[in-house]
Amino acid sequence: MKLNNKKTYPMLSIAALVVLAVLLILLEINKNTFGMAVSILQKSAILAIVAVSMNLLNGFTGLFSLGQAGFMAIGAYVTAIFSIPTETIDSVYYTGGLAPWLKAMKVGLDVLPGFLQISLGILAGGLVAAVFAALIGIPVLRLKSDYLAIATLGFSEIIRAIISSPQMDKITNGSYGLKNIPGFALGLDFLPAGIGTLLVPFSVAGLCIGFMVLVIRSSYGRAFMAIREDGVAAEAMGINLLKHKEISFIISSFFTAVAGGLLAMFMRSIEARTFQITLTYDILLIVVIGGLGSITGSILSAFLVTAAKEWWLRFFDTPLVIGGVTIPLFRTGFRMVIFSLLLMLVVLFFRRGLMGNREFAWADLLSWPRNLSKKASSGPKTGKGGKKND
Amino acid sequence: MTEQTLVPVLELKDITMQFGGVVAVDNLSLQVHRGEIVALIGPNGAGKTTAFNVVTGVYAPTNGQVQFKGQTIAENFPRGKMETLYAGQNKGVYTAKVWPTPDLITKKGIARTFQNIRLFKNMTVFENVLIAKHMNMKAGFFSAAFHLNGREEEQMRQESLKLLEMVNLLDLKDEIADNLPYGKQRRLEIARALATAPDLLLLDEPAAGMNPQETHALTAFIRQIKKDFDLTILMIEHHMNLVMDISDRIYVIDFGELIATGTPEQVQNDPAVIAAYLGVDE
Amino acid sequence: MSLTTFIQHILTGVSLGGAYALIAIGYTLVYGILLLINFAHSDIFMMAGYFMIFAMATMPWPIAIPVVIVATVILGVLIEKAAYKPLRSAPRMSIMISSIGVSYLLQNLATYLFSALPKGYPTIAPLKKVFQLGPVSASLVTFLTPVLTLILVFILMYLINHTKLGMAMRAVSKDYDTSKLMGIKINQIISLTFVIGSTMAAIGSILYFTDRMSVTPFSGTLPGLKCFVAAVLGGIGSVPGAVLGGFIIGISETFLTALGYSTYSDAFTFMLLILILIFRPTGLIGETVTDKV
Repeated sequence: MKLNNKKTYPMLSIAALVVLAVLLILLEINKNTFGMAVSILQKSAILAIVAVSMNLLNGFTGLFSLGQAGFMAIGAYVTAIFSIPTETIDSVYYTGGLAPWLKAMKVGLDVLPGFLQISLGILAGGLVAAVFAALIGIPVLRLKSDYLAIATLGFSEIIRAIISSPQMDKITNGSYGLKNIPGFALGLDFLPAGIGTLLVPFSVAGLCIGFMVLVIRSSYGRAFMAIREDGVAAEAMGINLLKHKEISFIISSFFTAVAGGLLAMFMRSIEARTFQITLTYDILLIVVIGGLGSITGSILSAFLVTAAKEWWLRFFDTPLVIGGVTIPLFRTGFRMVIFSLLLMLVVLFFRRGLMGNREFAWADLLSWPRNLSKKASSGPKTGKGGKKND
Repeated sequence: MTEQTLVPVLELKDITMQFGGVVAVDNLSLQVHRGEIVALIGPNGAGKTTAFNVVTGVYAPTNGQVQFKGQTIAENFPRGKMETLYAGQNKGVYTAKVWPTPDLITKKGIARTFQNIRLFKNMTVFENVLIAKHMNMKAGFFSAAFHLNGREEEQMRQESLKLLEMVNLLDLKDEIADNLPYGKQRRLEIARALATAPDLLLLDEPAAGMNPQETHALTAFIRQIKKDFDLTILMIEHHMNLVMDISDRIYVIDFGELIATGTPEQVQNDPAVIAAYLGVDE
Repeated sequence: MSLTTFIQHILTGVSLGGAYALIAIGYTLVYGILLLINFAHSDIFMMAGYFMIFAMATMPWPIAIPVVIVATVILGVLIEKAAYKPLRSAPRMSIMISSIGVSYLLQNLATYLFSALPKGYPTIAPLKKVFQLGPVSASLVTFLTPVLTLILVFILMYLINHTKLGMAMRAVSKDYDTSKLMGIKINQIISLTFVIGSTMAAIGSILYFTDRMSVTPFSGTLPGLKCFVAAVLGGIGSVPGAVLGGFIIGISETFLTALGYSTYSDAFTFMLLILILIFRPTGLIGETVTDKV
């Protein structure tokens, strides 16, 4: 992050936030008409949290971790256990029943209103993930960057194996997964029922991303970037490598798990298979397309990629008939092929992604038309490659 | 150094560094006293940078002890596989293992630069210096993250700006470090080391790749910072003009071993040194 | 566990380990030269499975096998040229991301072309012939895999240690930049590495899937990761290390499954990885290197 000498236009930011809030409320009210848009926005907000967490670790601290799916699984399962209504819990664990201590905890928590129970669940999921991250971080964060990738990927698979193992039946319901998870709703008596569909994911995303931005802009954020730039030099500047890598890893895992909790609420039912390596790859792609090292890039990319994947590129998956002739290629799965090809294009030819390591600024947007003409006249600037990372 | 009493700041005692069967530093002992500029010279591959890496905690020595201001900051003796492999001397003299990580050494007051410049390339000049202030920050993680340490952060920034002004880099503060010309990058690396407020500064070939004018400016710069920051300096250097001009004392090593020591005049006339640099007819 | 079942499991484990070893060689060679975890390697292995299905549909197995090997090699080299070569001077993270991208592409392509449903793997009759050795019975593929693995490894070791090309490969993996200055045609050597890796993956794939009976677009992922672990376990960059690691993982996985811990057998592999990385990051027979500062 560069020192920001650009004008910041706070009024524009506030105005944009107000517009966004109004739009969300309008959508919220008319959610039955715009079901598709609502569901895409929900998913995008959730993925934005994970993408920013991953960027904090990969883009800002230079730690190539691929454990996202595992941490999301932890968050999702903990949140699900907390939030499935106690009345229906036995029907969910219909094979082996819920472990007595968990049942007792759930009965005890029932004194709290439902929405507080869910919040507690999300928080607990984050904390459990943070504890796991702290523990595995001690051995794993000493490793060179690519070993870290494999070790975290391995961790993610271990978590999945444990969740689906018969020995965990009474906690995770083994391979049957969990269902009856309540969706997003504030559930407050003074509000109309069902309010929160968009407000919950967006406000949680706002809080999480806001906190991570604060971290990145603090002295700790600078220390993370120093580690990314040159670990040896950072250490020679008095920065304790392991401590700072741990902090970054723990924060990232915490918020990844929070997003996992939201994902459980979005999907309403989860199983271990939801959290396969492909999920981690999906998030990595969002981060890469947005630009490693750009928070706004990750957010933007989370929305664009989700919309493209779930909506705009849908037509690739249905047979296309033009003038009575069925165009070949267009059938189930083609969308994902196109999508992976697009991704490879970004990886190979636009390595900096949408935003590189810059952040969105009104000043850039306002002077964009002018810069565009300037750029056109001065020819393409050779972009400096990403960051060196070893 | 004139009639002052000599207060040892850094003391290497019988340092041996062995990688596998190769002895890179062999039984090296040296002292640097308060306020001195001491040079460590020797042909390429003589083990100078290895000695620096031992002092700064990058490597644990195989045998020997390093003391800084009277405190042991590194100590080791041949163990494990090294016990049988060890080819150095003074085996059995040292019995403890002390090996703090490099960041702890920096906190004790030893800062360094690197032979191949290691700046935080994609960060600005100002940020490069500001990072060095992180280690002494009093605010905990959460108060820093929520920006509740505004006064401290402001002070860190002010100190960094002041330092940049003192080393004449203030006008470049928002430049990305990688975009600076070579000489300025060297200067920034020294400034960044100074920002950790060290007592002892280790310079690893500060004049490498510089032309005579730049070297001349560097000589003045080193003198200046030594005075301004009340430093003790140990440096590795190949530019003999610079070394002879600036050093109070010189240590010469070859093949890891100390072959001569003394004032610039003494060293210049030492036959062993001449032999090491120019070779001898057998 | 009786002696007979014990021997039976050892046989199965050694056989699985042999297939793992062949795949692990691809990882270890590429890492040795490009310092890249080739995430796409597991999908090359998966694609080789599909190639076999289609080859066997139209031709007898003695022709199908070489056809599959050639097709896999072409795929492997093509991936190198298209996705890794343009990033030669890029940071290592970019190349790793590119390999993840290729892996993602191959999986999606396979899903699109062959659907996500498992496709039956053709039976190569002679491989399936069951042999009876006293009380122990196993199909030919079980006996053949470890033997074939060892033969291939010896050929490969000869190639690496006693030929000019092998010397060039060793030089590149020791010091990339210097060997370039010495006039070694780096790109040729890298292509050769991918040729060898893909050949081994194709053979490994035939041996592996003959025992598994079906292929899905994702059936490469987990074995692929395990084989990478095998390579790290033995010492990344070392061919004998990869083979040793492959056998260790194959045998321990078989025994864990036999003891009823099949869900934990994957977890065990990664535990092994984390343990080896903590206590012996250079692997069982890798050499130690000191980072230069």
